Amino acid sequence: MDDLSNNRATSGRTEVISIKGLYKSFGENVVLDDFNMNIYEDENLVLMGKSGSGKSVLIKCVIGLMQPDKGKIEVLGKDITKLGQQEMDELRAEIGFLFQGSALYDSMTVRENLEFPLRRHRNKMNGNRTKDLVMEALENVGLAHTLDLMPAELSGGMQRRVALARALILKPKIIFYDEPTTGLDPITAKEIILLMLDVQKKYNTSSLIITHDVDCARVIANRIILLYEKTNYAEGTFTELSTSPDPKVKAFFK
Amino acid sequence: MPGSFSIAANASSFFTEIGALSHFAGRFFKELFSRPFEFREFLRQCYQMGNKSLVLVAITGFILGLVFTLQSRPTLMEFGAVSWMPSMISISIVREIGPVIIALICAGRIGSSIGAELGSMKVTEQIDAMEVSGTNPFKFLVVTRIFAATLMLPILILIGDFVALVGSALVENVKGDVSFLLYFNQVFEALEFSDLLPATVKSFFFGFAIGLVGCFKGYNSNKGTAGVGKAANSAVVFTSLLLFVIDFIAVFVSDVIYG
Amino acid sequence: MKNSNSQNLRLGIFIIAGILIFVAAVYFIGNRQHLFGNNARISSVFKSVNGLQVGNNVRYAGVNVGTVRDITIVNDTSILVDFIIEEKTMPLIKRNSVATISSDGLVGSMIINLTPGEEFSSETIRGGDTLQSISKVATADMLTTLNTTNENAALLTADLLKITAAINEGKGTLGVLIRDEQMAQDISSSMAELKKTTQGAAITVNKLNRLISQFDMENSVAGVLFKDTLPALKVKEVIVSLEKSAGEIEQMTSNLNKFSEEIINNEGVLDYVLHDSTLVEQINATLENAEAASKKLDENMQALQHNILFRGYFKRQARIKAREEAKRD
Repeated sequence: MDDLSNNRATSGRTEVISIKGLYKSFGENVVLDDFNMNIYEDENLVLMGKSGSGKSVLIKCVIGLMQPDKGKIEVLGKDITKLGQQEMDELRAEIGFLFQGSALYDSMTVRENLEFPLRRHRNKMNGNRTKDLVMEALENVGLAHTLDLMPAELSGGMQRRVALARALILKPKIIFYDEPTTGLDPITAKEIILLMLDVQKKYNTSSLIITHDVDCARVIANRIILLYEKTNYAEGTFTELSTSPDPKVKAFFK
Repeated sequence: MPGSFSIAANASSFFTEIGALSHFAGRFFKELFSRPFEFREFLRQCYQMGNKSLVLVAITGFILGLVFTLQSRPTLMEFGAVSWMPSMISISIVREIGPVIIALICAGRIGSSIGAELGSMKVTEQIDAMEVSGTNPFKFLVVTRIFAATLMLPILILIGDFVALVGSALVENVKGDVSFLLYFNQVFEALEFSDLLPATVKSFFFGFAIGLVGCFKGYNSNKGTAGVGKAANSAVVFTSLLLFVIDFIAVFVSDVIYG
Repeated sequence: MKNSNSQNLRLGIFIIAGILIFVAAVYFIGNRQHLFGNNARISSVFKSVNGLQVGNNVRYAGVNVGTVRDITIVNDTSILVDFIIEEKTMPLIKRNSVATISSDGLVGSMIINLTPGEEFSSETIRGGDTLQSISKVATADMLTTLNTTNENAALLTADLLKITAAINEGKGTLGVLIRDEQMAQDISSSMAELKKTTQGAAITVNKLNRLISQFDMENSVAGVLFKDTLPALKVKEVIVSLEKSAGEIEQMTSNLNKFSEEIINNEGVLDYVLHDSTLVEQINATLENAEAASKKLDENMQALQHNILFRGYFKRQARIKAREEAKRD
């Protein structure tokens, strides 16, 4: 981690993810066609698009949950389509993923949920280290008291925060947020956004945030990409895009 | 002709399902023998399936023995063959009725819960979350569950058989004057290895079928909450059907082996 | 993790309980089939095993002491049956014990019954011993012999009846008999027939006698079967009666023979008859004797039929006869 932050300080805007010419279809249904995108270090990139426009497909291709049909995806300098299972798992340890519905394991306590990503990396951890990491992650989201509760006993906002803690527990370099504020009331959503920014500052991570929540995008985005008609339709800062003359772009910010 | 078209479509979807299920089973065996084995999750599943089903199985078994004995008694009494009760009941329970009834109960209890659990995990992206966390979800969720069901079912069936015989002995003890000692003496007089062993082997297959179909339906369930309900329901229906098919094959095979 | 530990504990108890039930079931079933514990292998050779199967029980005086382990056909008349006997019962079973195969109840499976030998013996069985046996076939053989005997006896009875009837008729037409030489020759030939029959009877009686003596033979197959001496005595009695009546018939026959010879030797039969009244009396007496003798034989046959041992056999004979008659009709 330390040498990486040194790197960051010296090298400026390095690409952490670069996607070139991505094509993905399900049978007849083409979802992504010639999609290009870069994410740089320390950047919060917001990906906006309509429901069913292929945002989740894109993010799943990047993390290796789906195989793209064509195109090149490089994450931290590695071409993920050419990685074996072992290398893929190692790369995934560098990436945090906050799923849409939190995706906490129902049958496990909060503690077990947080320990789950650590179990693959036992060689690096002993019992105390695991405990410390779990507590640290929970304290970061302000939920240390929920350690032995089941996810079903938590409110939606708390679940989202625990899920964020789980995504952060391995101190990843990149975090993917899939719709971090859907299903939450505006106040809780704002809490989550602030928490995301907090984390951002604390761990110097790059983030890819999928959302159609304009408020969220305004607060968090350094840069916004609009996914429209299967490709990267527009790119720019929040002010650039929200004042764009293109009616199709404008439609996103109504 | 729309009628024939729908039959052809049904048949083709049925065969597709069987093919996918076989593929799923093949993947199970491949992943079962490759490291790592999720031992703690396996034990947890054994506990969930074994201990948590025990009360249900015991009650079912007890009532089964009770009712079966009460119903058979008058007929045997007509022939003056009440003394044949222990041997008749024990052979039919150990060979056939015990394993099948208890497996059906477990298909309802275990199969549906696996189907619903994995289905909802699939829908809420928990399975994806596991994969992203560097854990093979097939190993963690499917292999452990199928293996646990395969090992727990024979034990549940043995306990169920035993409780059923206790229930039967109770009836004989109250209605007739057969002591428990005499009853079980006659039970073991009547039973052969050729009754116990095929039934036990059969119950491993029952457990495997329950775990396999439950996991298959849950793991491949469609998106949405409706998919979860459908996964649980079709897991039970398909498992029950499969249990009878397995039972038929098992009886057929053991008949050939033991003449 | 306390929660997980208590789960593991309960899971452990559950699994152990299941395995215990399985092991107990295997043990109890196996114990009954004498798979465990100290056993000795004993064998016996039978002519037929009547559907005996591996796993059937072996009983000594009605108590289960072992199970059948192996059945091999040695040759066309002997089948080797190996069975296992609990070691603890071995000091109680004598070496001269006899193995028989019988059915356990009306619809039960076959069992091997061990019964103590006739003679007192202090030698007990050891592993590897071969016990004497009685097969169902031995009994069947015996019945076959009896069958021939009885056929002969039946033939004899029929002949005697015919003769007696003829003589009875002849008594009414004595005048014709006396005048007609041809008739005298007829009498002569029937006498010869009678003689033959009597000889047949004698042979039959001899056969029966042999059979009886076989019954008495020590350790003989039949001797044991009839170890209950009552039926044996009865059969003996029957045979003695048969012998006696046969003797009487023989005597009568010789009398008749003498008489007929005298008839043939004399030129005028009538003359002789007229002159000698004692002869007429003699003929009369002889005929009466013959009648009595045949009646006795009849009675004996009847007695034989009623004897419980042969009842089945005669019933079967009657059934065969009835069937033949039905076929003829």
